Amino acid sequence: MSRGYLPFALRRAGQAVLVILLAYVATFVVISVLPGDPVTATLRNPQNGFTEEQIARIVSYYGLDRPVLVQLWEALSRFVTGDLGVSLRSNRPVADMIGEVVPSTLVLAGASLGLALLLAFGIAFGVRYLPRPFGPALRSVPSLFLSVPGFLVGLLLIQIFSFGLGLFRAIDADSPWATFFAALTLGVWVSAQVAEVLIANLDREAEQDYAGVARARGLGQARLLLRHLLKPSALPVVTVLAVMIGEVLGGAVITEAVFGRTGLGSLVESSVASQDLPVLQAVVSLAAVVFVLVNLLADLVYPLLDPRVTVVRPEARVAVA
Amino acid sequence: MTLTAVTTTEAPAPPTRPVWRVPPTVVVSFVVVALVLAWSIAPGVFSHQNPVDGIPSELFRPPSGAHWFGTDHLGRDEFARVVHGTASSVSSALVAVLIGLVVGGLFGLLSGFFGGLVDTTLARFVDVLLAIPSFLMAVVIVSALGFQTINAAVATGVSAVAVFARVLRSEVLKARSAVFVEASLLLGGSRASVLFRHVLPNASRSVLQLAVLQFGLSILTIASLAFLGYGDPPPASDWGLLISSGREYPLAPWLVWAPAVVTIVTVLSVNRISRWLRKTD
Repeated sequence: MSRGYLPFALRRAGQAVLVILLAYVATFVVISVLPGDPVTATLRNPQNGFTEEQIARIVSYYGLDRPVLVQLWEALSRFVTGDLGVSLRSNRPVADMIGEVVPSTLVLAGASLGLALLLAFGIAFGVRYLPRPFGPALRSVPSLFLSVPGFLVGLLLIQIFSFGLGLFRAIDADSPWATFFAALTLGVWVSAQVAEVLIANLDREAEQDYAGVARARGLGQARLLLRHLLKPSALPVVTVLAVMIGEVLGGAVITEAVFGRTGLGSLVESSVASQDLPVLQAVVSLAAVVFVLVNLLADLVYPLLDPRVTVVRPEARVAVA
Repeated sequence: MTLTAVTTTEAPAPPTRPVWRVPPTVVVSFVVVALVLAWSIAPGVFSHQNPVDGIPSELFRPPSGAHWFGTDHLGRDEFARVVHGTASSVSSALVAVLIGLVVGGLFGLLSGFFGGLVDTTLARFVDVLLAIPSFLMAVVIVSALGFQTINAAVATGVSAVAVFARVLRSEVLKARSAVFVEASLLLGGSRASVLFRHVLPNASRSVLQLAVLQFGLSILTIASLAFLGYGDPPPASDWGLLISSGREYPLAPWLVWAPAVVTIVTVLSVNRISRWLRKTD
C-alpha cells in the first residue's frame, strides 16, 4: 500500500457516489421525457380499479402535478433515503418487489460468473497447452461465443438438455439443473470476454524476458504457467469481471425470459410490458448502483493485489479493460 | 524473446508490406456481409415469394428446394421472411452504430482535444452512461420511445455512445501528444484545422475497427430486443422476432434454426472483419 492510496480511495469513492446520483437522474430523464402520459393512462385504466381519490393521491405522491425539476429533486431525495416508491400496478412498495426477486437473480449471476471463470480459464489454458490442431483452434472459440445471441444459447441448451436428454424440466425453472443451464447461458458471453483478455495476457507475458529466463533455467511449461505467468495474466481479469457485472444484469432480462425464471430481469420485462415506470426506474438505477459499487471495489482492491500498479495515475490502468 | 523495445506492433512486419494479403476467412466474411447488405437493400431480388401472405395448403413444410428454409404456421416461405427481415435487422444496426459513432465520437473528440473542464464534465457523463448496464439502458429507452425497430436501433445506439467516446478520447490524446501535431500548432494551425487534418485521420483506424465490432454487437442487441417483442410487431420479420415466434412450434425446428444460423453467420463474419482490421492496424 502506497502513500497515495487513501486520497486515491477517497477521490474514487466520491466519484462513485456522484455517478450513482447522476445515473438516477439519467434514468429519470429518459423515463420522464416519455411522449404521452402513461402514468395517468395506466392509473385510469378501469382494470386497475383506482378511484379518482386514489389517483389524485398517487399523482400527488409522485408529485406529477408539479414541475419536472421539483419531481426530480423529490425522487432523488427519496432514492437517497432508500425509498424506491410504489408500483403503479400492484400498489406495493417497489423495494419489497425487488427484495423478493433479488435472491434468484443473485444465484443466477453468481453461478454464471463462476461458470464463466471456469470456462475462460479452461479455454485460455487449452489455447496454450493443448497439442497443435486443438490449441490454436480454441483461439476462435471466444469470438464464436461473442457471435451467438444469448437467447439462442439458452434455446439450444433447453433443446438439447431438456427436450432431448430430459435432464431437467424446462417448466421447473428453479431446479438445480435449470439454474445451471441458465447460468451457463449467461456465462458463455462473459467467459468469451474474460478468455480474450486472458489469452492476450498469457501471450504477452510468455514473451517477457523473465519468462525466457525461467525457461532457460529449465522450468517446464506447467511450472512456468503456475509460478510465473498466471498471476500477472489473471489479475486484470478482476477489472474485466467487474465491468461484466453490467452485462450479467442486462443479460438476466433475456436469460430469465428464456428459462421462465423470476428475477430482476423478469421484473424489468413485466414492468416494461405494463409501463410500471417506478419499478423500471428502481431496477435500472439499482443495477447502476451495483455496477458502480462493484467497480469501485475492484478499483480499490486492484492496487493492493497488483504491486505493479501505482495509484498516482488511476487512468493508466483503465486501459486494461 | 528478443528485446521488445524495437517495435510496438505485435506482427513481425516485413519491411516491404505485401499488397493486400487478405486471409480467405476474411474474404468469405466480406462476401457474407455484402450478401446480407444486398438482402436488406433489395430483398425482392433474392426471394420471389411473399413474406407476409402464406399459402394455406403448405403449412410447416420442412426445408426443400422450393422452400430453402421451409414454411411456417401460415404457409409463408421462411427464407423470404428472413430476407425481408434483413432490412430492419441489419440496417437498424447500421443506424445504431451511426448514432454511437457520431454522438460518442463528438464527445470523445471534444473531451480529448480540449481537456480541462470539458474533459472532466464529459468524462462524468460517459461514466454515467457506462454505469447503467447497456442492455437495460436500451430496454428503458425503447420502452420510453415505443416498441418499434427504429426505436430499438436508437436505444442500441445510445447505449454504445460511451464506448465510442472512450476510444476516440484516448485516440485523440495519443494523436495530440504526437510531434507533428505539436509542430502544426506551432506553425500557427488553428485548433479546428489540426483537429480535422491531423487528429481525426489518425484516430479513424481504430474507430473503424470499433465501429465494425459495434455493428456486430448491435445486430445481437437489436435481435435480443426483437426477441423480447420490443421491435416491430408481426408480420414484420426481424430475425430476433422470427426466432422468438419459431419457438412456439417445436415440431418445426427450422423456424428457429434458419434465422438463428443466419444471425450467427452474419455476426461471426462482422466480428472476423473487425478482428482482421485490428490485426492489420
